[in-house]
Amino acid sequence: MNTYYAANLLIFAGVDIIACLALNLQFGVSGIVNFSFIIFQAAGAYAAAILSMPPDSNPDYSFQVYFGGYQLPFPLPWIGGAFAGALLSIPVGLVVLRRLRTDYQAIALLVTSIIANTVINNARPWLNGAAGLALVPQPLQDHVDTSADTYQYLYIGLTAVCVAIVWFVAARIVSSPFGRSLRAMRDHELAATALGKNPVALKTTMFIVGGAIAGLSGAVLVGFLQVWAPSTWLYPETIILFAAVIVGGRGNNVGAILGALLVPVGFEEVTRLLTRLNIGPPNLIPALEWVLIGLFILGFMWFRPEGVRPEPRRVYEGAPDA
Amino acid sequence: MSLYVAAFGFGLVSTSVIALAAVGFTMQFGITNMINLAYGEVMIASAYVAYYIDSAGLSIWLAMIGAALFGAVFSFPINRFIYAPFQRRGTALLGMVIVSLAVSLMISNLMLPIVGYFSVSYRERFSSLLRLGPLALTVNQIAIIFLALAVMLAIHALLRYTRLGKAMRATAANPTLARSCGIPTQRVIDVVWLITGALCGLAGVVAALDSDSFTIASGAGFLITALAAAVLGGAGQPYGAMLGAVVIGMVTELSAAAWSPDYKEVVAFAILVLVMVLRPQGLLAKRGALAAAG
Repeated sequence: MNTYYAANLLIFAGVDIIACLALNLQFGVSGIVNFSFIIFQAAGAYAAAILSMPPDSNPDYSFQVYFGGYQLPFPLPWIGGAFAGALLSIPVGLVVLRRLRTDYQAIALLVTSIIANTVINNARPWLNGAAGLALVPQPLQDHVDTSADTYQYLYIGLTAVCVAIVWFVAARIVSSPFGRSLRAMRDHELAATALGKNPVALKTTMFIVGGAIAGLSGAVLVGFLQVWAPSTWLYPETIILFAAVIVGGRGNNVGAILGALLVPVGFEEVTRLLTRLNIGPPNLIPALEWVLIGLFILGFMWFRPEGVRPEPRRVYEGAPDA
Repeated sequence: MSLYVAAFGFGLVSTSVIALAAVGFTMQFGITNMINLAYGEVMIASAYVAYYIDSAGLSIWLAMIGAALFGAVFSFPINRFIYAPFQRRGTALLGMVIVSLAVSLMISNLMLPIVGYFSVSYRERFSSLLRLGPLALTVNQIAIIFLALAVMLAIHALLRYTRLGKAMRATAANPTLARSCGIPTQRVIDVVWLITGALCGLAGVVAALDSDSFTIASGAGFLITALAAAVLGGAGQPYGAMLGAVVIGMVTELSAAAWSPDYKEVVAFAILVLVMVLRPQGLLAKRGALAAAG
């Protein structure tokens, strides 16, 4: 039982780290306030699910309705998840990022997130509506015994590989000349435009990259949870990730990881412990958890907007002293 | 055909509900430069206040007044003690959006242990039906329409013909200049939050009454329709919000008659997307959502 608990914690931490790195690339580095982040994670999870599940005509799966069902072998559903996240980012990015003012972009994305959830919730034939998908196959379940403890270690290992890949990509983007353009755009869009950078192209690119990583995080998550439903990707989930990036330090990848460990993982654990104490009405503690996350955001925005680990000041050779 | 006439009647009711919500929201943005994403949650909180007054045996109209008062008293400190200090500190518009979303999250979760997850309805949600040919509306619905009309006229009179309204418009156009001309902008903004808070409270009860039953989760839906109407008409423009309410109210109800009532919010969203692609500044505004060209 204890291995299970530890595995749970590590895998959730891995998924949150992947998601926070992606959100940091979008929000921290490029200044895109992607309030619909969670729908890209959801797209990845749904894609990974239908790519690995058998068709819904299969007797074991006939209690749910969904399209597809391709039973692809292991790495393909995860790659497909990342691909789905990227694919969904293209239309959303093209509509939202092109002409709107940044605060309107944020609102449009928030509305998109709420509406996407409503649509999937009401439209049963696509992805089984409000009940969601269940019995999603676990990676490699045909080759290894998924009930054994060793499978937990295997899954932790797979998650760690994904974290490492995402970390590598994020670090490369941040330190590259492209990352410099992104920061220039974030800090002074007009000046960056004047120097010949195309903010719409930069933002759309980061929207797609972030969407792909978010999709991957969803695929990793659904392979472990084996269920995915609209109630798992309501818009407040995005706010938790924002809280993590703000607390950790926007623009800093290490900060994003720190934030992921502090906010989503930390809060989840504290809530679990407090719920065991049985204080007050049953939904009091989870509700207070959200209130606390709100207070965390307000507190950090007020006292330390740069976060626990601020973005490092980058000084380049030949630059005049500021 | 009679189906569409009936839908037109419902469209009038929806328009009234949305207009009440959207005008307050857009005034907050236009005059105090605050996109208040907690608006939907304040609406729901007020709807619950009205629910408690209503279940205590008082009339729903009395409950509406109570909710409007609550909305005003609740919105005022949110601005005075959270939004305004952040704005004074120079938090960017984008940061303020995040702040208001955090506030929205906190309000709904502070309410949750008190009101619970269950859906509730007002005692007087059923009232007698009045018919005019195929047009059939309940007394409550007709009252909502007239209430909205009265409020819209009152706002028009306030903005056009009073000194306060003039001061509000001046503050919206250029706060620094308004202050230099001797307008106490701080006090104007306080009054704006009291008025829009009352509108928000009223809109919450009306929206809850119109949708038969409501839960704590209804706030997001309320916010979306108000947002859609406000952005459609050109954010910050009270008359634009009224126009946006007419468009969204009519189109959603007619589409519900022609298609399915499950997707009312989706239709509102589709209109919003179309406007954002084709005319981001909104129907009435000159700038609105269009990217600031510097």
